[in-house]
Amino acid sequence: MAQPATDPKAPEKGTSAKAAAGRPADPPEEATEAVMGLDMVLIDAARGPLRRLVPPAGTALRFGTALARQPGTVARRGGELARELGKVAVGRSELAPGKKDKRFADPAWSGNPLLRRAMQAHLATARVAWELIEDADLDWQDDERIRFTATNLVDALAPSNVPVVNPLSLKAAIDTGGKSAVKGLGRFVRDLASPPRVPSMVEPDAFTVGEDLASTPGAVVVRTPVFELIRYTPTTETVRQVPLIMVPPTINKYYIADLAPGRSIVEHYVSSGQQVFMMSWRNPDERHAEWGLDTYGQAILDAMDAVERATGSERVALQAFCSGGIITAMVLAHLAAIGQQDRVAAASYAVTVLDWSRAGTVSALMDEESVKAATEKSRRKGYLDGAQLAEVFAWLRPNDLVWNYWVNNYLQGKPPPNFDILFWNADTTRMSAALHRDFIDIAIGNALTEPGKATMLGSPVDLSKVTVDSYITAGIADHLCPWQACYRSTQLLGGGNRFILSTSGHIASLVNPPGNPKSTFQVAADTPADPEKWLAQAETVQGSWWPDYMTWLGERSGDQVAPPSGLEELAEAPGTYVFDK
Amino acid sequence: MSSTSSPESPSPGRGDVVRTVTVGGRTLRVSVRRGTDAGVPALLLMNGIGASLEVLQPFVDALDRRRSVIRFDVPGVGGSPRPVVPYNLSTFSPVVSGMLGRLGFDDPVDVLGLSWGGGLAQHFAVQHRRRVRRLVLAATGTGSLMVPADPRVLAKMLTPRRHRDPEYARSIAGEIYGGTMRDDPARAARALHSASRLGPRRGYYYQLAASTGWSSLPFLRLIRQPTLIVAGNDDPIIPVVNARIMARLIPDARLHLYDGGHIALVTEAGELAPVIEEFLD
Repeated sequence: MAQPATDPKAPEKGTSAKAAAGRPADPPEEATEAVMGLDMVLIDAARGPLRRLVPPAGTALRFGTALARQPGTVARRGGELARELGKVAVGRSELAPGKKDKRFADPAWSGNPLLRRAMQAHLATARVAWELIEDADLDWQDDERIRFTATNLVDALAPSNVPVVNPLSLKAAIDTGGKSAVKGLGRFVRDLASPPRVPSMVEPDAFTVGEDLASTPGAVVVRTPVFELIRYTPTTETVRQVPLIMVPPTINKYYIADLAPGRSIVEHYVSSGQQVFMMSWRNPDERHAEWGLDTYGQAILDAMDAVERATGSERVALQAFCSGGIITAMVLAHLAAIGQQDRVAAASYAVTVLDWSRAGTVSALMDEESVKAATEKSRRKGYLDGAQLAEVFAWLRPNDLVWNYWVNNYLQGKPPPNFDILFWNADTTRMSAALHRDFIDIAIGNALTEPGKATMLGSPVDLSKVTVDSYITAGIADHLCPWQACYRSTQLLGGGNRFILSTSGHIASLVNPPGNPKSTFQVAADTPADPEKWLAQAETVQGSWWPDYMTWLGERSGDQVAPPSGLEELAEAPGTYVFDK
Repeated sequence: MSSTSSPESPSPGRGDVVRTVTVGGRTLRVSVRRGTDAGVPALLLMNGIGASLEVLQPFVDALDRRRSVIRFDVPGVGGSPRPVVPYNLSTFSPVVSGMLGRLGFDDPVDVLGLSWGGGLAQHFAVQHRRRVRRLVLAATGTGSLMVPADPRVLAKMLTPRRHRDPEYARSIAGEIYGGTMRDDPARAARALHSASRLGPRRGYYYQLAASTGWSSLPFLRLIRQPTLIVAGNDDPIIPVVNARIMARLIPDARLHLYDGGHIALVTEAGELAPVIEEFLD
């Protein structure tokens, strides 16, 4: 849920509190929670930046009407604001930024009377805007929409975004003899020259894929026009008999699962004795406009065929991330329909939403018109542009992903800090027009919740017929795939379920290496229909869910065997598709 | 519906390590084939206009495994991201030099430029003299000051359509590439990878602009490296007289004329690779 950082009543925990703008000099942990998600593809990435600052007409009308019905409240809020601004003007206001609000952390904001007044006026106005939204008491969809717009608008107007006014920009200019201003202007021009037209969150050469990212040793063993299949080199003497195929998202590159050593999911699985195969999707272009859900579903089947041949195992396990999980679930339904479900020993879905009823800000922002515009645009182009999606993502959390880089990059003329997840995030991919259309159809019609409403490779999709055991993970602060929405998969899929609720958001819940003292996860013995009931009975476990998953998967992966050898190798990992821009 | 039934192979083969390198704000997709003999200088290939590094695969395959081979896609072509700011040969040469450094090739390399890449190779050999040991110029000329091709041929070079549309590539291949393409134009379409890799659009025009107005004619005498000029007697794009002029003006140059057209280096790699290797060795 979007919420202005200036909201004084923001709770201590949860997404909204995390909106406090961390200066990039700190590890941008908050930023990682906002970088990815499937639902975002449903937004019209083509909408201009101004649209983000203007609510849909209907919403604005209902907001206005709701307030017009309570003129007393509006007058009271107006009076409060006038009084507070009066206090600010004479320097008697007590307003102060929240402790986590790093935008105003510099002592100049409290020490300099002019700056203090500018800050307090902003806080006072933001608070009233927020209170008015509360007063209007709109239904959830309009409420999300108006909050989204208000967040964008209020955060954009913060005095900390203004050059010269922000003391950091002045100090940088003095420290560097004005060079920071020149550099900042250069960065500004460079960033705005091409999409995504937002401040860059990472330098383009901060990391090298294949060296410090995606560096787990392995080889490409299959290459089709749609994907490369990477087989990671076992590092243990024996491996589990049932190989694991990982199905990454179709947005951005697969190496979210193979970040820097020590932070790589794949590396952890390999060292736990699992045979690991990874699908690396090709970055589609306009010639691949017709690649839809069936193409991607067939690709998973092709990967399964190849892995079964290569390892001699009759069964495989699947782990899918985000949008990859939707395709995987549908493929399983297809296998169930044709009587081949026993080829899959276990399935895992990480931050995947299969049931889109009220799945968060993004679904609230969708209206039929913009959905139509989005599919039409990608149809004409042949694909959905990744850079434009990245822009949409950034504006979902403007304080974390736009304005603090604005201050850092432009006002202070500094390079953004190096951070592997943000490097990955900036390495955008396209999405074929047909897949974009298919995903939208599934999400808008919520088609996976009703048997037979969607099809995969000719089979009607009925997730209740999928009786493979599932391991489902979600992040408690995931604002793109809210954990409750991920949780509902436990009710859709047949078979035994284990649901894991990890700390942090969409991406940070995945990149969760053991050894981080801050990470915990919650788990319960069973999965009742109501997520809140589940939460009430869940116990908290210290550490990362990765080892827990390895244990769970190990129980379903058969004997220990010697690693198969003699596979044909086409190229070294990370392969070649990952480099296609 | 599956598209996987007719596998194409849009990417380099076994032994090639593909990666991306960012230098001076430009990101290039690079392919390196490590040679088996570290004593042999690496060979840096500079490609023709609009062509992705895959196009050079037949030539690379024909080279001795001892030799390391480096290829790259210019901005906006093949797998390199679209350039934000235009470039020209003198601003791009330092990027290529930086790329070699980032790849760990600090010793001088041999440079082979094909067609458009021949212009870049000449410029690179002068601007980064110490980086270049020997120079091979294949099916290339001296830029805007040269004996030009038939205007009808040049007009077809102005757009990247042949890289995007296999049908079109077949229809014009004989006329623009000459040599064996006159009899077998379908091979040109395959050689250009127009079906497996999306041809560039903006990247192509930037590449075209990068050499517009540029000519090596005034500074051919500054090319001090031993140079092999390889030219075809049926090259509609670069009339063979240009090779003779270059061979005369470059102080240490040899000329090799072959029977064939503009892209013989790729389509008749088996015949030309040994000639080039003999010169390099």
